[in-house]
Amino acid sequence: MHGYAGKILDINLEAGAIGDYPLEEELRRDYLSGVGINARILYDQAPAGSDPLGPENILVFSVGVLVGTSATTASRTEASAKSPLTGLFGTSNSGCYWGTQLKCAGYDGIIVRGRAREPVYIHIEDGRAEIRPAAHLWGLDAWDTIKTLRREHNDEEIDVALIGQAGENLVRYASIENGYYNAWARTGLGAVMGSKNLKAISVRGRGAVKVARKREFVKAVEDTRQAVLNSPFFGPFSRFGTMLVTLPYQEHGILPGRNFQAGALPGWAETRSRKLVHKFSSRGIACVACPIACAHWVEVKEGPYAGLAIKDMEVTPVIGFGAGCDIDNLPAVAKIGEMCQRYGLDMVSAAAVVAFAMELFQRNILSEEDLGFNLPWGDEEAAFMLLDLVAKRRGLGDILAEGVSRAAERIPGARPYAVHVKGLEPFLMDPRGRWSTWTLGYITNVRGGDHLRTRNPVENLRFNDNPEPYLTEKFEFPEEMYKNLDMPEELKKEIFRTPAGDVDIARMAKWSEDLISLYNATGMCIRPPVLHTVGPTLLSRLYSALTGLDLTPEQILRCGERIWNVQKLFNIKHGEQPADSDYPPRFYDEGVGSGPARGRTLDRKGVKRCLTRYYEARGWNPETGAPTGAKLKDLGLEAD
Amino acid sequence: MAREMVVNPSKCIGCSTCALTCSITHHDEFRLQNAHVRINKKDFSGIFEICFASTCLGCKKCAGACPTGALKIIRTEDPTTEKPV
Repeated sequence: MHGYAGKILDINLEAGAIGDYPLEEELRRDYLSGVGINARILYDQAPAGSDPLGPENILVFSVGVLVGTSATTASRTEASAKSPLTGLFGTSNSGCYWGTQLKCAGYDGIIVRGRAREPVYIHIEDGRAEIRPAAHLWGLDAWDTIKTLRREHNDEEIDVALIGQAGENLVRYASIENGYYNAWARTGLGAVMGSKNLKAISVRGRGAVKVARKREFVKAVEDTRQAVLNSPFFGPFSRFGTMLVTLPYQEHGILPGRNFQAGALPGWAETRSRKLVHKFSSRGIACVACPIACAHWVEVKEGPYAGLAIKDMEVTPVIGFGAGCDIDNLPAVAKIGEMCQRYGLDMVSAAAVVAFAMELFQRNILSEEDLGFNLPWGDEEAAFMLLDLVAKRRGLGDILAEGVSRAAERIPGARPYAVHVKGLEPFLMDPRGRWSTWTLGYITNVRGGDHLRTRNPVENLRFNDNPEPYLTEKFEFPEEMYKNLDMPEELKKEIFRTPAGDVDIARMAKWSEDLISLYNATGMCIRPPVLHTVGPTLLSRLYSALTGLDLTPEQILRCGERIWNVQKLFNIKHGEQPADSDYPPRFYDEGVGSGPARGRTLDRKGVKRCLTRYYEARGWNPETGAPTGAKLKDLGLEAD
Repeated sequence: MAREMVVNPSKCIGCSTCALTCSITHHDEFRLQNAHVRINKKDFSGIFEICFASTCLGCKKCAGACPTGALKIIRTEDPTTEKPV
């Protein structure tokens, strides 16, 4: 088979059974790979009402179809299950080499069912899969587990998806680590893996990815590469990675400082912003096939963390721990990042939980007696201790391991300070200070409060302007960028109110979600040089030439929309209510505490107006946000 | 004018685009194992080794694909300070 390996590994840990799941042409055409196939399998097979940490939950990994080739940035694999944090569609995306190895070992994905009686790991090597005992690995952190597996297999090149102690202890925001430094972090999939007594999936693949039409594919890859390299976002992203946003966030006052109490922080630019990236890092690190290299290799040469060397300096821990917890030195943040990687914790949720606990301490809702230590803002030692308690579910860590939403129900007086959407903690920009496609995405995202599945490809972070409150944001780029967008012309006219003018936030949200679904269903990365340049035309060329299954740009865009709708259907099947798609009360009732956005709140009517327009743009019921029968028929989902 | 390849591992970001390009060029499929160039990563030092197999024919397609200049084609008569290897 071209492009695809041709089969998905289907493992039942309860029965110890290993088989293949058919990868029919219809499934490939309609759902491509990655999140598409995961969504279809989980919607069909995860029972409503089931416990996410029960044996009936299904954990699915699907490698992007473009992974294993030289298609620019195609390294990504999607992992999905019913989320123990939200009870809804849990899903996360990760790059580097694990997916390439799995595909070259002969599999496009893995379905894991049931629960093993004893700890096990799965080893996959060139078409063979085995379930092996892992009692000796249970209790090890992620890094030590990788080292042990490589030593035992006498192979330094195996790649490993695995959990640390947090996943074993069913911390609801445990991540699945992807090697030493990457992760399927969001929505608590590590806890699902832990609930199955599955410590790791190690892979070694020496096979090939075959191409249906080589010359055509190589040309499509080269055009994609040139588009990415020539994007105005490429240079800054290559130089600063995601740290790029750290300065504009401070300038607009939209940091989640001190658990969303402060939109700007004194000394931020000098202590935690992108200005410091090159003090600690002199080189970028890329995933396979990616020229951007957004991650940085960090070496700390002086101070209490001297000797720390790690792939890091990424916006997630810097905003989360640096702003959210007000820890004002980057080496400490990098050390916390290492701790999260070793324990296997989602850094976004972990930072949100620590910040939440720090605010409870500030307000005397939690005390030294409750914690065993003081927990003031900015105290990195206290953050280390708290994360240790969480990962091991000791003391108050047992409650905080449940995530902000559940912990707030168990700690009297804590609820007003719990910032989450559908149980998932959004911990990046503050929507009160900047209303945009990106922040609307906190409530439209099918995986809950998160910033990674709804993003305006031409958002200009230097500006902060809504010409029509809640409905539009400024474009603010040269007209050439508008003309070059890989977007159908009729859609451009709908999304941009005037050529190269204001952006319709609701319609742009739909477009970006469908587009990001396509990246996550093909293995491409969502970083802005890609988000801005690679649309349905290039994806259609890449997919068709690689697989020999011809999909037009319109058809492939329809796949993206179908995949988003199936995830929404999963959520409705599993109990999502219309009122769940909303911000926490704090954003409506309490103004930003300090900085340029001081005093700003969200307006309920404004948010509702924008959300209704979004539902209309999606062809969903404008009141309930459920896909209508007509929309489902349009997408070939009438049977659902 | 002769074309030579300069190898500068300190610029390597570990993307293996060189190896992927090599395998599709010479083997009509993507298979890192068969590429004549190989990137070895060092997980705890953040550096990459660039290794060429003895089977490499010197087509330099890998250098054309390298996004950082870790592999770079130069013309030997150019007044460059970099030396070909």
